[in-house]
Amino acid sequence: MPPQQLKPLATFQPPCNARTWLSTPHPHLPLLATACSDKTVRIYSLQNFQQQATISGGHKRSIRSCCWRPNSVGESVLATGSFDASVGVWKRWEENAGAGGEVDFTGRGLAGGGDGEEDEEWRLEVILDGHDSEIKSLQFCPTAPLLATCSRDKSVWIWEELDDGENFETMAVLQDHEGDVKCVGWHPAEQVLASGSYDDCVRLWREDVDDWGCCALLKGHGGTVWWVEFEGVEVAKNLKEGAESEERKGWLEEREKSGPRLITCSDDKTIRVWRRQPKEKKEGGQATGMPSIWKNRDFEEHWFEEAQLPLVHDRPIYAVNWSRKTGRVVSTGSDGKIVVYEEVWRTGDVEMTDDVNGRKNLTEWIVVADVENAHDVFEVNHVVWLERCDKGKRFEGEEVVVSTGDDGEVKVWTLD
Amino acid sequence: MEPGKDNANPTILNPDDLPRRRRSTPSTQTKRGIFDAFLAPAYPSLADPLLSSPEVLSDLSSDEDDSDATREEIDEQEVYDLISSITDPEHPLTLGSLGVVNLEDITIIPPSSPRSRISSVQVLITPTTSACSLTTVIGLGVKVRLVNALPPRFRVDVRIKEGTSSSADEANKQLGDKERVAAAMENKNLINMVNHMLSSCE
Repeated sequence: MPPQQLKPLATFQPPCNARTWLSTPHPHLPLLATACSDKTVRIYSLQNFQQQATISGGHKRSIRSCCWRPNSVGESVLATGSFDASVGVWKRWEENAGAGGEVDFTGRGLAGGGDGEEDEEWRLEVILDGHDSEIKSLQFCPTAPLLATCSRDKSVWIWEELDDGENFETMAVLQDHEGDVKCVGWHPAEQVLASGSYDDCVRLWREDVDDWGCCALLKGHGGTVWWVEFEGVEVAKNLKEGAESEERKGWLEEREKSGPRLITCSDDKTIRVWRRQPKEKKEGGQATGMPSIWKNRDFEEHWFEEAQLPLVHDRPIYAVNWSRKTGRVVSTGSDGKIVVYEEVWRTGDVEMTDDVNGRKNLTEWIVVADVENAHDVFEVNHVVWLERCDKGKRFEGEEVVVSTGDDGEVKVWTLD
Repeated sequence: MEPGKDNANPTILNPDDLPRRRRSTPSTQTKRGIFDAFLAPAYPSLADPLLSSPEVLSDLSSDEDDSDATREEIDEQEVYDLISSITDPEHPLTLGSLGVVNLEDITIIPPSSPRSRISSVQVLITPTTSACSLTTVIGLGVKVRLVNALPPRFRVDVRIKEGTSSSADEANKQLGDKERVAAAMENKNLINMVNHMLSSCE
């Protein structure tokens, strides 16, 4: 049995009476947005697990995905992607807009009141048309005013925000994938986008002079890639604490040169971790900071498969999420399981653990917790880590897992 | 040969040769209707609104407490009965009589571990011709029929029988893709086709 346990803490109320696809936490307020197949987004409070608002009226078909714009001051901005092929951008003023964007996470933000008048306040700012068929996923870039969207039409679009989000302009239409593009995810520090597809491949994209193009093609999965996500900027603390030997220290340094890794999950029931091959530094070109390393370099990047997580799921894996705080990974899928993994230093004979490329891998992934039938007998479409905000929070920075299922329920799980 | 049909003269099986149970079991037939409501969330446009009423749903949740011993077991013949009566999209004939669905191509796979409650049903379909362009639609009809009729603990995997279709891989991938199936069930043309196919059931 895994050493820890996932325990159900709460189910958001009221549940949706149709399939729910995905839930995502607000960048700084204790709010959660859930994309529902009934063409709405539910906004739930993370403090009392009650519904705060319903966003509806903008889409003709299921809302498949939604995302919050990061770094929005004084206003919440939510983008929705729908099977009707359009993207909606919705806005709502934050009550304490004068607070300079710093909102007390534990205090009475707008989620604490629950006086019900919020419903009117969400307004549809703009609809983005362009995709030919269902939008599958979308994500705002954390480092630039860009929005990425992807669709069954095999394309990834990059939109540039103009006039503080009142308008969007198409910056790039990327059409290298040979099948539906299922998911997009931005690099946390660089303007690099990852996408996963029905063609079983992962592609990485970035801007080269003035044009966006594919800078890496990651092959390995034997089925549709359902989710892609980059690691946080910092390497997990638990690895640093255990890095006593020179070998481990050197290995960590080498990894830091690669920058954040990418994790992907697939219909083939595997979860894979990919790492960038660090490029050799040019003479005299050593500026400080990560981004400068990549300036004036060859456009192409080389990524390799660093690890596969333990095989636990026995049906397609729909979502995987990497905690920015602890480095733990959580996954879920068609089998209704939620599984938590942790990367630890390998003990025992490291020589035996070279990967396919002959590289030594000093770490391994272990299962630290799992739960079956997380949403009764239904499939679970999405999981995400987020900071716990309810009164029962046990320590500063405690994280919970939020799962979103075919039963229309969104559930919160603690790790004990 | 009629124009516009992939196979204007399909082989039709003798109804007496089709597999069936000797005794009919009307009690399970009526009970199964209740479960239709469980899938209403997944395919709202196809579900009977009457079955989504709160009373039916509360009945269901009390059923869940039943132990495994009292849980209704479902066998291959029952799955066959659910799908053999589906009408072919091209012909006024059923998938059973055309040999598109066959009892021996239905497999029920029990939960993978004692902790899991999820079973799966695998159905292999045999298109009437190797180039049948409607293969994916037939697969979709079979999938929707089973997802709506079986309890939600069953995962339904519909595939094209190996060696029977030139586009089997493509069709299999589509039928196995949850997002595509969900989106297809919001497409009016496909809903109409599937509803027509399922109109001959029960």
